[in-house]
Amino acid sequence: MAEKKAKRPVLIYILTGIFLLILCVALSVIVLITPYEKCKTYLNIVFMDQSMKITPSSGLDGLVIKQNEISTTPVPTTGNSENQDDSGTAQSYYEQGEIIRPSFGEQYAILNCEEIGLSVPVYWGSSPELLELGACQASSSVVLGETGNVVIDAHVNTFFAELSSLQPEAVVTLYTTYGIFTYQVTEQVQFENTNKKYVLPTETDRLTLYTCEAQVLGTSSNRIGVLCDLVSKQFYNPLQDGESS
Amino acid sequence: MKNIRLYPVKVLLAFAFVFCLLGTELLLAVKHIALNPATFETVAETQQLDEKAWSALESYFQSRSNSTGIPAEVFLDSITKEQLRQGTLDSVSSALSYLKNKSDTYQLQMDFTELENAIAAFFENYADENHVEKDAVYEQKVASTIAEAEKEILFIADTFKFSTLYESGWLKKASHYIPALDGIFIITIIITILIGLLLILVCLKNIPESFYWLGISGMISGILLATPCMWLKATDYISGFVVKDPQIFSAVVGYLNTMLNHELLQGILPIAAGILLLILFAVLSARNLEKE
Repeated sequence: MAEKKAKRPVLIYILTGIFLLILCVALSVIVLITPYEKCKTYLNIVFMDQSMKITPSSGLDGLVIKQNEISTTPVPTTGNSENQDDSGTAQSYYEQGEIIRPSFGEQYAILNCEEIGLSVPVYWGSSPELLELGACQASSSVVLGETGNVVIDAHVNTFFAELSSLQPEAVVTLYTTYGIFTYQVTEQVQFENTNKKYVLPTETDRLTLYTCEAQVLGTSSNRIGVLCDLVSKQFYNPLQDGESS
Repeated sequence: MKNIRLYPVKVLLAFAFVFCLLGTELLLAVKHIALNPATFETVAETQQLDEKAWSALESYFQSRSNSTGIPAEVFLDSITKEQLRQGTLDSVSSALSYLKNKSDTYQLQMDFTELENAIAAFFENYADENHVEKDAVYEQKVASTIAEAEKEILFIADTFKFSTLYESGWLKKASHYIPALDGIFIITIIITILIGLLLILVCLKNIPESFYWLGISGMISGILLATPCMWLKATDYISGFVVKDPQIFSAVVGYLNTMLNHELLQGILPIAAGILLLILFAVLSARNLEKE
């Protein structure tokens, strides 16, 4: 009987502790639920990168630069329109075809313009590291082969040094792993770096090449560029069933 | 628990004591760790923020040399890592002064005399060698290059991004409450002590029981504080910080982790103290039972 009496308070003390803990947790949850709901969106944005938890040590961290073999003399395939390449082999292209979407930092095209002796790799996305390697296509613009504005820029002191001398009617060709896209220069343009008129999406096929205005020294807020119209799209592979251009 | 009439009072007092302890712990962390310049200094040292800021600056000026034609060395030779380190610490003290209403504005200033001279000298040499006319355009070019370089250096030196918090109005909002922290902290401590004493008072007939109530309250407040901290630590949630600029990432994540570690410790200490008090209560109760 005495043992029973002694055991009872122990049980009460344990249950009181658990009850108090539940009470405190419940009150904390009730008090914090509204602020948490308000902050949740911000927290999700600020700490959204839960998949890549590495401590960055340079600007190159997380950037995977991929180089592709892109031929400027394409391999022949079967298709519905036939041409002849330099070696005399029959080549076939498609007006509508399969587009291979690049990833950020991937070299996905080669830009050629014989008029100014230009041949430069084009990377998808833009960053100081990629601009060191070649021209960069804004990832906000459309992939070559899609309808819209293809916007490519490069440094004036390196790859686009001669861009200002590109005259209307000059031919610009972009080679990719999935096709060849030919454009013709229609207009030379100049604009302030704050003016987004020429880099915004368009409903028609357009190629916009631009760079900084060449200065003796220092930076310039002026941009110079050329606008080009699409002349031809030549895909290596036809659209797969169920795909749309 | 011989006097059952006092039981609800004891539960209520313990309940209040839990949240008073929690409040004291949190205020202590904000006052002595979050707003302590020494915390930022430790983060700056352990995370090597000066090295990271220097690398960012190096990479920026090297990349800019492609479009400006000005070699990166012109800028980098006239700035030192020590200046960047001091810039970071100055940004912290300026922000903390603003937060505590000791100054009217947040401002980061650095001595750029050497940089300005180096840029001016470079432009002058270039102009002389290439027979460039030193007209208004030339002067404007020199001025804009200096302004741009200074802006970037200040941006990079401000690794904790107080300028962003200031411009977005967060520092101003916080500065309305932070000066009141001292008063709130003292009031919280007084209330906590009073409730603790009340708990002892209501257990006057059975003193060991007060150890139980104080212990269980300490334990629960510790659990409430330590559990979220443990979850944050176990999931490494803070490392999901989205800004990946090395110096900003290290500063923010380093600071938040320092805070998290302190909070975890502040949560574990009351748990340990609570367990000790509960053991004491068990031992004394057993002894009393033997006597009876």
